Amino acid sequence: MRAHCLSAAATERWKPVPATPSPVRLSLPARARNIAVARRALEAIAEELALPRRLVEDMRLAVTEACTNVVRHAYQNGEADDQSALRVELRPQPRGMFVVVEDRGRGLAPSPDGGGPGLGLPLIAALTEDLEISHGPDRRGTRVAMSFAAPVIEAA
Amino acid sequence: MSNAAASPNGSPGTTRVSIASGPLVGPVLRRVVGMLAARADLPLDRLDDAVLVADLIASRAPAHVAAASVDVDLETADRTLFLRVGPLRPGGGDALIVDAAVPGVGNVIEQLADDISVHPEGEAEYLHVRLAYPA
Repeated sequence: MRAHCLSAAATERWKPVPATPSPVRLSLPARARNIAVARRALEAIAEELALPRRLVEDMRLAVTEACTNVVRHAYQNGEADDQSALRVELRPQPRGMFVVVEDRGRGLAPSPDGGGPGLGLPLIAALTEDLEISHGPDRRGTRVAMSFAAPVIEAA
Repeated sequence: MSNAAASPNGSPGTTRVSIASGPLVGPVLRRVVGMLAARADLPLDRLDDAVLVADLIASRAPAHVAAASVDVDLETADRTLFLRVGPLRPGGGDALIVDAAVPGVGNVIEQLADDISVHPEGEAEYLHVRLAYPA
């Protein structure tokens, strides 16, 4: 969705990832404080793979937005409690990362606070190469699947 | 080694990290453990201890897990961090503890943890580790 515009000189090199993807899965109580845990795991993988800084910033922002949506909207009574699940899967790809954020909450629905749609999903869409939003298993909850990819720099 | 039960038990407040065995186990586990140790308000020296324990688990556990991933449940309490590592293959808990010995230093996990114990569950085992700082 978004064309990354990095000059060849500004683009850092990233390590080739193994042929077999090495997924990382987090299962957390859907509380605001745990969004940072997901971000830290994402940063650890990005650092290990030496992904381009601009791509990492995009991923961090999009994953934060997706997790914030879960904490704020997926469960009843405002902020979710410790029994509410937030699941994050981080799967390295050859040029970036595939990230899934899912919950077992009430699914996509108008915000109960009546504030209308926010900027979260459009922002995520703008930051991702590909975005798929669907129900979770058993049509329960929401699954946000995001693909991030660094630009291909062609040799001059 | 203490036999005290000291671990998360899959309660709703547990954070679970599952990392496919490979180069990402160490980097991810040490960051998550470090963050939760800070949240538990462990002082800096005990936070360092927790990260060191995480590094050892990350480097040794892949040889002893029951599946292809290293799974760790984490819980925090006031100045306390609980880790539950597994499922491990039968005998994997003790083998992981033995593997954590460093020549000239001794067993680092045993030296740093307040409690460490192995708990069989079904056909698997789980290593429970508690790091704390007394108030």
